[in-house]
Amino acid sequence: MLNPKEIFVRTDRCVGCLSCTIACSVEHSKSKTLFDAIWETPVPKSRVYVQWVEPDGKVPLVCRHCEEAPCMYACISGAINRDENGVVITDTDKCIGCWTCVMVCPYGVIGRHLEEHKAYRCDRCPDREIPACVNACPTGALVYDTVDAFSGKVRKHASRELLRAERG
Amino acid sequence: MPPGSCFERKGDNVAEDKSKYIIVGASAAGMAAAHTIRQHDGRGSVTVLSEEPDTPYYRPLIPFVVSGKKRAQDMALSGCGPFTGRDIFVRTGARVESVNTAEKTVSVQGAGGLAYEKILFATGSRPYIPPEIKGTHAKGVFALRSLADARNMVKRVETSDHAVMLGGGLLNLKAAFALLERGLNVTLVVYSPEVLSRLMDPEDAVLIRKALDRAGLKIKTGCAATHIISDRTGVTGVALDPGGEISCQMVCIGKGVRPNAEFLDGSDVRIEKGIVTDRYTACSAPDTYAAGDVAVTFKPGSGDRIMTALWTNAVEMGRCAGRNMAGVKTAYSGTLGILNATQVAQEPFVSMGVVHTTDQDFEVYRHATETTYRKVVFDSQGTRLIGAVFIGDITNAGLYRYVMRGKMPVTHIKRYIIDHTLHYGHVMCGKT
Repeated sequence: MLNPKEIFVRTDRCVGCLSCTIACSVEHSKSKTLFDAIWETPVPKSRVYVQWVEPDGKVPLVCRHCEEAPCMYACISGAINRDENGVVITDTDKCIGCWTCVMVCPYGVIGRHLEEHKAYRCDRCPDREIPACVNACPTGALVYDTVDAFSGKVRKHASRELLRAERG
Repeated sequence: MPPGSCFERKGDNVAEDKSKYIIVGASAAGMAAAHTIRQHDGRGSVTVLSEEPDTPYYRPLIPFVVSGKKRAQDMALSGCGPFTGRDIFVRTGARVESVNTAEKTVSVQGAGGLAYEKILFATGSRPYIPPEIKGTHAKGVFALRSLADARNMVKRVETSDHAVMLGGGLLNLKAAFALLERGLNVTLVVYSPEVLSRLMDPEDAVLIRKALDRAGLKIKTGCAATHIISDRTGVTGVALDPGGEISCQMVCIGKGVRPNAEFLDGSDVRIEKGIVTDRYTACSAPDTYAAGDVAVTFKPGSGDRIMTALWTNAVEMGRCAGRNMAGVKTAYSGTLGILNATQVAQEPFVSMGVVHTTDQDFEVYRHATETTYRKVVFDSQGTRLIGAVFIGDITNAGLYRYVMRGKMPVTHIKRYIIDHTLHYGHVMCGKT
């Protein structure tokens, strides 16, 4: 696994426009265009969620593809696997819709496809270079980067803030 | 060898007489341990001894074999999720008769001894057949536990049109639905006042009961089987207390399980019904460990001793044991005694933690609609979430488990919990 990119969330940037959820639904539709996607049955599902926290917090939530993925270890049918890029994938053929993954995921980012009786989640858009949600985010609240690069930027930002505070 | 492959050997083909790690039992706990050992020790030999003739498989899928929706080869463990390690020797048909912890050897039936440096007992459990039910040896009486049981049930289905299920637990419900899908008439006989009595109070089960009724399952509650009537052809009926008889060609017993710990009788491994483990999954004898259904472990909050028979717990404990065996000392976090999610008759539900609240001093909130029901249980002070039942809508169930297991103070998020609107954003934004 070569230092793969991940989707990072910057809650301070999110304005709650839901562009990510629409882009995700469209990407996971049959037609892959917004105007056709809205007429599809079953309605295409978004794998990214934006939650609201009082008084005005917006929190985009998406599968973290955890290192110690509780869903993968809990799955009772062998449907959840990690691919060579570190992406945790739900194999819909093997999924029996028992919802054990839903019961163990603390982030609440595994959806239940009621029509198909299958669990679904972020697949990091295997057909795209940049995941659709990240691509659609107009404010940079979703960032697609390696852990090293992203944490580097966070450190740099924090250092700048520190210096600024020191200098008054 | 490609990743995820195992060597599989028959019990009579003894190539080695020692293995650094021996694992007794090749289901969730045993195989999770084997693959975890591999992550930390790439070289030490790992031998898994399985009594069953089949190579390791996802046991929870066996009702799908009964219904005909899955084939045995679709259920293989090897190569899936947690089971992708290499060079794990699995010997099927290898029944361990006894263990000598002083000499560090195990005796395999018909195949002699095998020496180990570290050993894991992951022998699981077997169905409990109540002795007060007479005639359970008749042909056509089943307790669905293994792939072999499922295959035998499938054969019997061909000559049956009515099955009686004894016990209203989850496994028996799944078996009942598998038989319904096969076109049989199915009657569920339950001694308790309602189905799923281990997972919820009777008044919590209303929606599920309705869904079961709608699905065509006949249910008799408050009723016990006294004996199984049979003739040359096998089962012909079940006699009930308080009176009455149901004619049937198949009986399926789902009355809970008992740990498979008898092979340790006379050894110095401490047994209290199951095999007693410490915080690091070790047993009382040196270099012995236990995990899964056979292990006596503890609840995270109270530290009370418990045994559970859940796949998810078995994998978790097996992984912890694997780390400890490979020298990475890891404390087991313990487990909630009740931790079930599933869907029966189109009704999804989750049951976690303390769910029996009748006549108990807990703070309990219930909410029912036409299609959903929830009950959340706080301790008597109302400061900690200790249990939840969600039926119909199981959104974010994992987060509630997280709050429960982490014994998080809930004052700031309590109303979200009660309203079932809690989401990870509340946790992230420090609303705890």
